[in-house]
Amino acid sequence: MARVAREMVEKAGVDIDHLVELLVKNAAAELTTYYYYTILRVNLIGMDGEGIKEIAEVARVEDRNHFEALVPRIYELGGKLPDDMKTFHDASACPPASLPADPTNVTSMLNVLVEAERCAVRGYTYICNMTAGKDHRTYDLALAILNEEIEHESWFSEFLGEGPSGHFMRRGETSPFVSKFLR
Amino acid sequence: MGKRCFTEEELRGYNGENGAPAYIAFEGRVYDVTRSFLWQHGRHQALHTAGTDLTAALSEAPHGADLLEDFPVIGLLIETG
Repeated sequence: MARVAREMVEKAGVDIDHLVELLVKNAAAELTTYYYYTILRVNLIGMDGEGIKEIAEVARVEDRNHFEALVPRIYELGGKLPDDMKTFHDASACPPASLPADPTNVTSMLNVLVEAERCAVRGYTYICNMTAGKDHRTYDLALAILNEEIEHESWFSEFLGEGPSGHFMRRGETSPFVSKFLR
Repeated sequence: MGKRCFTEEELRGYNGENGAPAYIAFEGRVYDVTRSFLWQHGRHQALHTAGTDLTAALSEAPHGADLLEDFPVIGLLIETG
């Protein structure tokens, strides 16, 4: 635990137990989403499915990166991950991104993907609002993750015909915003 | 059939703990969120508890009231004050 760092956050007026619980819940969401996206990705097949497989893969890998980036901050603030994986799964800040009944229906697959990203966008926006100007390190981390979640949402939204994402796919490396926390 | 009416005190009993259903109120309507993954054990995002009126809290939430549309309205909250 980073004792003084924790004290600074508490003195700034952040309910640190609440914050740590939210970070654990969002770490659970990231790791479980990584798992569920693995299943979604392997089922994205055929003429339509192949078209979004790569984008789902990038989101999958970046969600795992988000988990990796969140864990150190949880422990710095005096928190911990649950010992039991089932407990961790059920504590997720977002519902399971389960395979839809008809995996060949690409619209159904996209709806699962976009709803998972929207849940994440809501969660990190809340954490940013909670820590802005008070807990600089958590804010910086949550903002970096938020940037990537917003891009994921816009990619899937574009495929659903809701409007252009406004940007290109990744060019090579993943996690352009979060990678600084992974070094 | 008319909706069941809940006082705030009655609503507090539906807090999702120890197998109790999880009900929440918003703008006078009472919603059953028992089946929601995000309301397990009557808690939501480490902040909110079932059995309460969340009308004021929703204005601070990172989502709108539209997310409540997925849940059945099972009654009305009546003011007793």
